[in-house]
Amino acid sequence: MVKPRKPARKGVEMIAPDAYPQMMSRPQAARALLALRSHETAARAHLAMEAAIPPMRAAILQYVEDMERAGGDMKKQFEIAHEIRGFAETAGLLTTGRIADTLCRYMDDMERMGKSSDAAIVALHASAIARAARAEEDDVRTGEVVAAELAALVARRLSGAETA
Amino acid sequence: MSGFENLKALIVEDNAHMRSLLRALLNSVGVKDIAEASHGQAGLEALRERKSDLVLTDLVMKPMDGLEFTRHVRTHEKSPNPFVPIIMISGHTEKYRVEAARDAGVTEFLAKPITAHNLFARIAEIVERPRAFVRCDGYFGPDRRRHQNDDYSGPWRRQDDFQEVEPR
Repeated sequence: MVKPRKPARKGVEMIAPDAYPQMMSRPQAARALLALRSHETAARAHLAMEAAIPPMRAAILQYVEDMERAGGDMKKQFEIAHEIRGFAETAGLLTTGRIADTLCRYMDDMERMGKSSDAAIVALHASAIARAARAEEDDVRTGEVVAAELAALVARRLSGAETA
Repeated sequence: MSGFENLKALIVEDNAHMRSLLRALLNSVGVKDIAEASHGQAGLEALRERKSDLVLTDLVMKPMDGLEFTRHVRTHEKSPNPFVPIIMISGHTEKYRVEAARDAGVTEFLAKPITAHNLFARIAEIVERPRAFVRCDGYFGPDRRRHQNDDYSGPWRRQDDFQEVEPR
């Protein structure tokens, strides 16, 4: 049996797309979609991404130094890890990004549970991030093992924190 | 002519490298007129000073983050354009943060790391399928329901399904 259409909820105003100013006219939109999906645009975007890699890698190394200097300031380390997570993978540093992601998720989950992050776990991740970022080539195989072990450690600690 | 040549974009992002990358990606599709701001408050000032047709914003920024920025754009009485499409770009992809972004009124959410393909897909979604806006108690922004199936024949599970059924 087909469910009857629900009546509009009281106090809710729906504003259809043609009732407010759009980003562009319909002819422009048609051209824009072609441009977004064209090979020429993809090629230009690829060059833009390639050009962004060297400065991003340099920035990540600077963040790594900042993270090391932050020492036991875990709030600062979390902020830096977040920045690294944001563009390490764009810079081609997959392992660095993955470890930073695990650290961010761990610290975020602990904060949501109202608990302090374990300083040893944070230090372990910070060290692994630094080593991965400084490696001349992104050693994916070794990095995956390290990242997986750190992720497993974090999962165990989070599980323990939830039940504590 | 790409359709984007007259578009005005605003990038609100505290990381200079990300701003630079986003600008380059927008340039590659033909957007030339791009303003930048390094936090939400500066973004609001940029919006007041200059019309923008598309906004890309980060989530975590100081002193004003992307959520407060979005809420301000959508609901403040002096907002220059409450309907402007806003793409939130963030590495904070936990479910509760994405839901907070949705409830603040973002049009699209893009998880970092950024790829050109994903950014262009979000822009294409805005161009191709502009969303209705909803105004109700506590919310003004794009319709948060992405899909509505008029032929749905499954069970009614929402609490308000039962409250809104006409009494027999």
